[in-house]
Formats: sequence, C-alpha cells, structure tokens
Amino acid sequence: MSHRHRVRYTKLDRVRFVSARDLTAVWERALRRANLPIAYSEGFRPHAKVSFPDALSVGLESTGEYAELTFSERIDADSAFMALSATLPDGMDITTHLEVPDNASKLARLLPATLWRATWTDPAVDRSALFDLLDQRTRDLLAATTSEVVKHKPSGDKVIDVRAAVLDLVAAFPASPDVHSVDATGAPRIILSAVIRNDGPTVRPLDLLQAMRAADGGASLLPDPHRVTRVAQGERVDGGLREALTGEVVALAPGRLAGAA
Amino acid sequence: MTTSTASLHAPDTATRRAVRRAADPLVPPSVWDLVEPHLLDVRKPAQYVGGEVNMVAKAWADVQTRWLLCYPDAYEVGQPNQGIQILYELLNERPTSMAHRAYAPWLDMDAVMREHGLPVFSLEGHVPLWAFDVFAVTLPHELAHTNLLNLMDLGGIPHRSADRTADHPLVVVGGHAAFNPEPLADFVDVALAGDGEEFTLELDAVLAAWKRDRDAGAVNGDARQQRTELLDRLARNVEGAYVPEFYEAKRTRDGGLKATVPTRKGLPDKVVKRTVQDLEQWQYPKKQLVPMTEVVHERFSVEIFRGCTRGCRFCQAGMITRPVRERRPETIQNMVVEGVKNTGFEEVGLLSLSSADHAHIGDIARDLADHYDGTTTSLSLPSTRVDAFNITLSNELARNGRRTGLTFAPEAGSERMRAVINKMVSEEDMLRTAELSFANGWRHVKLYFMVGLPTETDEDVEAIGHLGVKVYEIAKRHGQRNKVTVSVGGFVPKPHTPFQWVRQDTPEEIRRKLGLIRQVVKDHRGVTVRTNDPDEGVIEGLLARGGRELCDVVEAAWRRGALFDGWHETTTLPTWLQALEDCGIDLAEHNQRARGEREVLPWDHLDSGLEKSWLWDDWQEAIAERELDDCRWIPCYDCGVCPGLELQHDTGFDDGRKPLPIVASPRPLGGDATLPVVLARQADAR
Repeated sequence: MSHRHRVRYTKLDRVRFVSARDLTAVWERALRRANLPIAYSEGFRPHAKVSFPDALSVGLESTGEYAELTFSERIDADSAFMALSATLPDGMDITTHLEVPDNASKLARLLPATLWRATWTDPAVDRSALFDLLDQRTRDLLAATTSEVVKHKPSGDKVIDVRAAVLDLVAAFPASPDVHSVDATGAPRIILSAVIRNDGPTVRPLDLLQAMRAADGGASLLPDPHRVTRVAQGERVDGGLREALTGEVVALAPGRLAGAA
Repeated sequence: MTTSTASLHAPDTATRRAVRRAADPLVPPSVWDLVEPHLLDVRKPAQYVGGEVNMVAKAWADVQTRWLLCYPDAYEVGQPNQGIQILYELLNERPTSMAHRAYAPWLDMDAVMREHGLPVFSLEGHVPLWAFDVFAVTLPHELAHTNLLNLMDLGGIPHRSADRTADHPLVVVGGHAAFNPEPLADFVDVALAGDGEEFTLELDAVLAAWKRDRDAGAVNGDARQQRTELLDRLARNVEGAYVPEFYEAKRTRDGGLKATVPTRKGLPDKVVKRTVQDLEQWQYPKKQLVPMTEVVHERFSVEIFRGCTRGCRFCQAGMITRPVRERRPETIQNMVVEGVKNTGFEEVGLLSLSSADHAHIGDIARDLADHYDGTTTSLSLPSTRVDAFNITLSNELARNGRRTGLTFAPEAGSERMRAVINKMVSEEDMLRTAELSFANGWRHVKLYFMVGLPTETDEDVEAIGHLGVKVYEIAKRHGQRNKVTVSVGGFVPKPHTPFQWVRQDTPEEIRRKLGLIRQVVKDHRGVTVRTNDPDEGVIEGLLARGGRELCDVVEAAWRRGALFDGWHETTTLPTWLQALEDCGIDLAEHNQRARGEREVLPWDHLDSGLEKSWLWDDWQEAIAERELDDCRWIPCYDCGVCPGLELQHDTGFDDGRKPLPIVASPRPLGGDATLPVVLARQADAR
C-alpha cells in the first residue's frame, strides 16, 4: 500500500508570486511543520515525495492547483490535510483531498483541460465598450479554423495554433452580479472564461489574448486583464468543466449553471 | 482611526506627525496595491510580498512604538540575518511595540519605484519607511553604506541627519561596521557597537517616554529641537548609544585628527560597546521567519556561543565580540528542537565564530545527531578546526547525510606568516588532518587563505599554492576523483584589531600575488583556485578605517549611482574613484598608509573594550612572529575587555579538555562574510 493522496489547492493573493521552482521547498517545510510522515526518495539526495503535475507561471492565481503526496505510513487524511492546510502560507489552502488507489492513472491524465478566467476591473476602462470588443473577438476566434500566434522562447520562436487548443470560450459582463463577478467597489467585472486543452502544445491565457488581439492591427485595443485565474482542471463537459478530484461540474462562466447556456 | 491618502513619497508634515502618534495614530497607507502591478516586471518578485511563515503583523494603532528593521542588501542575502531575527521577535513580543522588516530593493525594483514614486516599504504591511518611529539598520560590512543612503532617500526621509526632525524616523545602526560609523556620521542618528538585545529594549523605552511627553505637549521647541531632545535623552540614558552629532572630530593644523570629543556636557569621552553577559536570558530565535523564495542560508540557526578568543590578529569579529559566552548544551538542544518544529527547516546551523570550540560541542553534536537519527534533518557547523577532533565531529554531524566537503581555514600558507597572524596551525597538523579527512571518506577539502597580510613576502604567498598541492597529493591517494579547492581573498585591515595600523595592498599587488599562486598550482588539475575581485577590497578598506571626511565621499558615490558595492552585478569602483576626486580625498593616503602608534584613529572614542596599547603590543608581537595563546586556556594577558567592561568568559570547560591546536574560519559570521558566502552558494548550485 503506497498511501498516495492527491489534493487540490489554491494559490491566491501574495503567494501567487512564489515561483514553481520554490514550491517544493514551501511544501516540504509545511509537511515538516505539520509533522506528517511524508515518504522520501532513496539515493544520494533524498527528497520528499511531493509532485506537481505542471507549473503555473509566476503571478497567475489559482483555485485549481494539484499535488500528489506519498506518505510512508497510513494517515488520517482529514485531520492531516487540515493541519497541512493550516500551516501552508496564507493564500495557499487545500480544498480537496483524495486517497489514490494503487492502479489509478497518472494525475496528469486526469487533467486534460483547464478552466481559465481573465478579469478586467480597471475603472479607467469603458467596460461596455470592452465587453463588446471581447464578445466580438470571442465569436471571431470560435468561428475561425486556425489562429496562429508566435511564442518567443529561449530555444527560438515557435508557432502554435491557439484555436485548436480552445475547447470553450465566453465573455461575460454579468447583469446580475454575484460575489465572483463584482470587484471590490461593487462594479461588475468583465470576465473572459476559457476551457483550454492541457495536452498538445502549451497554450496559456496570454497566448489566447495574443490571438484575440490579432485583429487590433498593431493598435492595442484589448488591454491586459487585471487578474488571470486557473479556476479548475479536469474534463471538459457541456457548459463547463468536470473537476478531476470531486467530479463536480464547474460552470464555464460565473453566475451561470452548467448546461444552462 | 482613519486611513491616510496623503502622498506616499513626500507626505506633508501633518501626516508625518499623525502617523507617529503613540495613541490614536493615523494609520499609514499600505502601498501594496501600487506595488503589485509592477511585480511581474522585476526579478524574483516573491522577495517583495512578505507573508512568510512566522511573520508577525501587529496593528499599527495597538502599539506605541513602531520599528522598521532593515538589512541594507538584497532580500536573498539579508533574510537569514540573525540580528534582525532576534530583534524582530523581541520587539514584537513587547506589547507596546512592533517591528516590521525591509530590505534593499534590487536595481530593477529601485528603477520601478523611482519611476512610479513608490517609497521603500515594510514586508509586513507594505507601510512606507517614513511612517515608522525607528529605522534600524544592521551594517554587517562596509559595502552597504550607499544602499543605506538610498533606502532613506527612497523611503521619503532626508538622508542627512541635520535635515531630519522629530517628524522623521530615528535612524539607528548596529552590526560590525558600526564599530566605526564615522564615514556615516552625517547620516545616522545613533550607532551601537556590540550586542543589540538589551540596548534595543532600553532605546525603545526611552523613545516611548519621549513620545508620550511629546503627545502631551511636554517636549519643548519645534520639531527640530524635539528631535535633539530625544537624541539627548538617548545619549544620556542608554549606555552605548553613540550620537555622532553630539561629537566633534577636532583637527590638527595639518588636517590630521586630533580627537573626537563630546560637544555636550555630561556625555562620555568614550562610548562603550554593549555586551550581553548571560546568553541564557536571550533564547532567540524561537520562531525564525521561513522564506518562500531562495535565500543564501535556508536553515534554522542557533548561536551556540558569542565571542572568540583565538586571537587571530586579522579578525575583527573575533576581537570585537569578546568575551566568550557559551550557551548551555540543554538550551541549545531545546532551541533547535523547538526551532525546527516551528519552521520546518531541514538544516540546522550551530553558529558562532568557531563552533568546534564550544566546551561541550562533542556532547551537543552527539545529542542532536541522536535526536535526528534516521530523519532528513541535517546539522552543520559553519566553522571548523584543523584537527582530528574536527573530523570526528564532522562525521557525527554528517550521520544523516553525505560526506562531501570539509572546510579548513589555515588563512596563510607559510609557518612564518601563520605566526604573524596568530593562526596556530602547523603544516604537519594541516596535512595530518587532510589525511584523516580523505581516509574518512570526505571527498572534497576546501582551504581558505588570505593574501596581502602584513610582512608578507612572495615566498609566503607561493606557500599557499604549495600547501594546496601537498593536500591534493594526499587527496589523490584516497581517490582519483577527490578534489581540493584553494580559496583566496585579499586582506582588508579593520578597526579594533592589532592590524588596524597596517597598509593595505593595492588591487594590482593582490592580483600579482594571486598570479603567483596560480603559477604554483597550474600543473595540478585537481586543485581549483577561487578568488574574489580584488577591486572590492578597495571600497571596503577605505570605509573600514575612514573618518568623517568620507561622509561627503559616500554621498557623492551614491549620487553618482553607486549601489550594491559588494556585488559582481555592479561595478562601482570607478564611481567611487570619481567621488573621491570630487571631494579631493586621496585613496592611497587612506588605504596604503601605515598608521603610527601615536596617531589618533577615527574610532578611538568608541570603546570595544580592547586597550589600544594592548592592540599595539600585539601588533609588535606579530612583527616579531610571536604567537599568543587562546586566553580561554591560559592566564589572562589583559587585552582589556573583561576587567574594563566587568565581564568574564562564560564557558563550561570543566571537562579537563586540553586546548587543541587551532583554527576556525571567521568567515561565516565575520564582518565581510556575506559576499563570499553568496558566491559559494552560486558555485555549489552549478
């Protein structure tokens, strides 16, 4: 018995500036503070058996991060993860945990798609105009068969097809604001929600925005969003995403029920 | 309680006054919302967000005195600093005070902050520097003086103390470089030489009383006079509080220093350093801050003793921290176990200037190794002796880990040179220790040396290379892949040491000497020679022994853009040379001039406990190549510290253990320690 557990956790507020590189040390120290029997690898330089399926860019926030932990002995999962969550830095909280059977498929295979949200709250921007523009560009992108953007990488420029990775896309300017769709001043946010494939070439929300800006023709009509959030990961379903650990469906756009588009 | 919306960078006087009221203050604005949008434009943004585990964030209005503790260098270097950590806990434990922290923003962040008018802020609440009562800065070495001026300027306060009033924070400095704060005399309000624990709490109490009086209208005069009143109370009531503006550097007719004397009645001619006699009463850190991004030392650290009596003549840290005060083994064990629980660190550092010299180090190491047996917790001693005992100790500490590298510090290559610097290790000791290291399975031995020592000849320099080669010959016999690293730094003479009178080598001389060593080892591929940039020693040497005439130079260098003077990423020597020219100051007159016995030195009015006459005598002993034993083991030779400061060694060496020959590296805690350690860290990562 391997005592493997998978967790979903958040990376909100200040901790979103912690890099993927530093994440392992943050978790190892939290596990030691919580006094949990994490297993260690063999070898010259043993390390705690905590793995993260993929890296989140510095600065992006998330309610859909995942980790897999292997313990050296059986644990009382509820109390263990409550203790771990409490000692992780502020903004990093464990929201779901699940014990993994021995024959389970790899965590990454359970996360074929991601629901992303980009929000605009800049009070200086005319929100109606921005929403109209976003809505138009959303339709244009969905109607296109391909939408190529150039990614600049240290290893050289790479052309990727954003359209092929986009499974779902909607711009929202909620008429009846709920807690997710208003900013601190109570003004409604403009929210672009997208379900993007995780397999194939990596496509991130900023690549998506780059594709949506192609029609700007050099002018920067579409401003950078105030916040980009990785909401959840799992399987795309009609109107949203089936979250990997709980099986619950998260609606594509906030304020809408799944399937009620 | 209200929140200010005043300008963040240049608040008006009413705002400055309102935020520092003891009771019912204006709560200063957090600059977080203004900083956050720029964080993706700078390198390592996690260093600016705070939120570390064990951070304490008390409410502004709940306390009467508010401190901003600062290490004036990048977060990755400053975060692990023990002094800041100790004072942070002490001040936050006191119900009436609070402490936040700040570090120097890196160059990219500095540019962003200047462009957008953002002030230096605390990590706890992103509160601007100008809002605090005290801006307390540790000066671990001389290469952060320009950063200090920059922090004040970027923090919204005048960098010259004469331009500050009671509506600005009090600027206090401590740390090893504060044993000669004269090049900063125009900029700092109070300097402390020595231990900060008692001093800080005493200063805080006087500050709190002054604030209450001021709020009650019982402090006379305008804001400038009220500030002077505070400084006067501190200078009179807090032992060790040196207020540079209450002292005058009197000059002789030819421009030399005649004496630095108090300008107010009743102030001491000599300000004495502070020493905590009983470390048992100060069991800190308890809850060390845990960084969320990479820093130079990621470990829980406990000072196992303070002070050192090895008497290495070049070592300022060893001289100015006397006498030796050991912690009890059971206290150390307790602090480590609790500290590891509270932080989750995997590594434990048992710190001191010469940790293997603790009277009970064998028991301490064994008990901790037992406690953590079979876990992934590892123990380290940052300094080591050159003897068999040290190997036993290192084997014990490496029980859970790997036997990779051992570090020894013979400091000089020839027996003659080691007698001059009082590093009592023979070549035979060194080679026997090397033999034992490799025979015990250690695969890499690092040797620390210095060049540019007084009376040094080319033969002494070449002996460094020869010793490295001899150690490598031993290494090879135990394994073809074993390695030897010879690390060589340029010597910088420091105040309050027997070498405070000597001339310093020029960078050209140092470079030539490093070349001699490379020549000796060039045919031995298993020997790596590592060196620092000799240019860096120039600024360090200038500021270490300079006087008030250098204040204008520090300011000119900063205005011309010098920052982060100890970093390879910046090349500031040309800027400093220009600044010296601006001010008409001759570099060679400062760095390459031997001082005379009767010459008044800029730090003579700051009392480290060491008698100047004893230091001179010890310098004469050095020239005569005579060694001086560790005074823990021999009768007192009267350096002046214990009787003069009514102190004594506090050690538990009742176990009859005989002194073992030699040697500790002062580097891990020493004045100039930080920078080489950074380099070592980067080198290890490769």
